[in-house]
Amino acid sequence: MEIKKILVCDDDEGILDMLALILEETGHEILLENNSMNVLSIIETQSPDLILLDLWMPVISGDQLLKSIRANSDMHDLPVIVISASRDGRKIAQQAGASAYIAKPFDYQELIDSVDACLSGDITHMSNTI
Amino acid sequence: MNTFRNGKFNLSGESLTDNFELLVKALDASISGIIITDNNQPDNPIVYCNKAFEKISGYQRSEIIGHNCRFLQKDDRAQPARQKLSDCIKIGSDCLVEIRNYRKNGDLFWNELYMSPVKDKSGHITHFIGVQNDVTDRKKAEQDLRQQKDLMEKKIEERTAELRDSEAFLSSIIQTVRESLLVLDPQFNVISANGHFLKTFKVSSEETVNKHLYELGNHQWDIPQLKELLVKILPTNNPVVDFEVEHDFPHIGRKLMLLNAYRVELEGQYKDQILLAIEDITDRREIERRKDDFLSIASHELKTPLTTIKGYIQALQRMVSSEAGERFKTTLDKVAVYVDRLNNLIAELLDVSRIQSGKIELHKTPFNFDAMIGETIEAMQTSTPSHHFILKGSTNSLIEGDESHLIQVVNNLLSNAVKYSPESKEIFIHLSRVSEYVKVSVTDHGLGISIEDQKKVFERFFRVGDVQERFPGMGIGLYICDQIIKNHKGTLWVDSKKGEGSTFSFTLPIGEGQANGN
Ligand SMILES: Cc1cc2nc3c(=O)[nH]c(=O)nc-3n(C[C@H](O)[C@H](O)[C@H](O)COP(=O)(O)O)c2cc1C
Ligand SMILES: Nc1ncnc2c1ncn2[C@@H]1O[C@H](COP(=O)(O)OP(=O)(O)O)[C@@H](O)[C@H]1O
Ligand SMILES: [Mg+2]
Repeated sequence: MEIKKILVCDDDEGILDMLALILEETGHEILLENNSMNVLSIIETQSPDLILLDLWMPVISGDQLLKSIRANSDMHDLPVIVISASRDGRKIAQQAGASAYIAKPFDYQELIDSVDACLSGDITHMSNTI
Repeated sequence: MNTFRNGKFNLSGESLTDNFELLVKALDASISGIIITDNNQPDNPIVYCNKAFEKISGYQRSEIIGHNCRFLQKDDRAQPARQKLSDCIKIGSDCLVEIRNYRKNGDLFWNELYMSPVKDKSGHITHFIGVQNDVTDRKKAEQDLRQQKDLMEKKIEERTAELRDSEAFLSSIIQTVRESLLVLDPQFNVISANGHFLKTFKVSSEETVNKHLYELGNHQWDIPQLKELLVKILPTNNPVVDFEVEHDFPHIGRKLMLLNAYRVELEGQYKDQILLAIEDITDRREIERRKDDFLSIASHELKTPLTTIKGYIQALQRMVSSEAGERFKTTLDKVAVYVDRLNNLIAELLDVSRIQSGKIELHKTPFNFDAMIGETIEAMQTSTPSHHFILKGSTNSLIEGDESHLIQVVNNLLSNAVKYSPESKEIFIHLSRVSEYVKVSVTDHGLGISIEDQKKVFERFFRVGDVQERFPGMGIGLYICDQIIKNHKGTLWVDSKKGEGSTFSFTLPIGEGQANGN
């Protein structure tokens, strides 16, 4: 299996730790970041293959970040999975251009499947079915 | 030429359909209410009512289809006529009773009800027909006659009526209530303004009384839509209800006001005056908004650590090797179940706040109704070994609705049925079609609910008194269910007897062309 790079950005350290443990199983390289301000530069320097993104974060929210990723010609095709506990999360993620959406708390298998699908290029945009 | 019933049904229409339509028109032209109930379904649900029934009862067909007629009795249940009806339904005979019934607006009417069974060839009763006549006037005349003996009492009554009729009485009420009130003449000139109005708007009586409504302040009430509603009040008696005005008022600044206007009515007589009530709801709105924000932030914050816990539990479940003890595994599984329950509670709390602020979002798509019910019951059965769920009937319908919210409704009714029937083991679910509606009933033989409490169980945070301490819950499940069903243009109601059990039922309209099968 080709080893890919997954960047996880969430302002909550507990969530980051837990996601690191779960994603370890996929065998991919995991980058953890709790400050959304750093994400764009990490994308430039590390060029991850997939981003897992929280929505409610201080200073720059996940959807703002996602919009700038989609507006940037160097990174607009990057798969981004939004993962959030906000009730309107799905709609916000869809409008911002997410590849997939996962509601917190999530189901283990759903997360792994979604990561696999995005990395293999099966999913590029969220479908309309809610 | 059709030969239906030897041509007896051949009135003059070209086809059976023509004749059928003619009969329906005849039923609708009747001044007596006419009801047909289906005796093959549990508890004789209404499958047909004519126009006169709607008129007499004040209910729309869509509100009562699928219900048993006893809703007309409201909580006036200690009437001998009920027993007679119940006996006649049991033995299948016809009967004539006079029964106190209540219109939708709560007004009493005396219903002279003729009820008769319809039998098929084998003598089996398929339907009942009820013919209702409003005999309130006759009853009233009878009662008046009796009352005339009591002349003394009547005189006292007349005197109080005179007093009440006086304008002085009206104005004394107007002055004391803690709400801003204006009394207007037919040209919308202010006849009087109460103290609360003057205080709220920081104006004097001279600036207000004898002035035209639309000239007050900085022409704040001069709003075309409001004018349109106000001019209709006197000719139609239709009130203006909850009209919102957001405006920058002189002296008091930007405020949100709620307006209600009624034609003044005294002792049953309409006067040529309009009562305009104005309520400042600026603060209330702001508090509602803050509470909304608070709840959605709180639920987000509660869910975040819950996500971490759930993630770790799922990771642990995977790590558990096959040699690990069975007790360890089941313990872990139990933790997972309770984390999900906590998550559902958080979601429910948020739902309540959403519904109150009208922000519930429904995503309606057509789905197979019976399959949804079957799967929901199956899942509930797996997690509830203490009770046995028995499903009967079918609807064979596609429903246009928000499937996940409707699953939530069914889950709620099922889990209540289980929770509130700890001593009994069986829960019955009945599916049927009534006219262009599907109907679901969930019956338990548990605690039951008294007639006074039956209305309240759909209110938020209401829990029956003696249940509170013994059973866990927040009293919002049924409120959410009711709102979801209302949002689908259906009805949710309960039939119950304390100590015997409850049947919670709901109907949902089948969209046009959505019915398949029979
Ligand atoms: C066709 C039909 C029409 C009925 N119409 C009325 C009615 O107009 N008003 C009323 O109070 N009850 C009416 N009932 C009676 C109630 O539905 C119910 O049978 C009665 O209250 C006795 O049953 P219960 O003791 O279970 O409530 C009607 C019943 C049938 C079958
Ligand atoms: N099947 C039932 N049998 C008896 N009482 C019930 C039943 N379902 C609901 N109730 C009563 O209605 C109340 C409100 O129900 P609900 O809104 O689901 O809240 P909760 O179950 O959390 O208390 C309950 O507290 C209970 O008193
Ligand atoms: Mg409940």
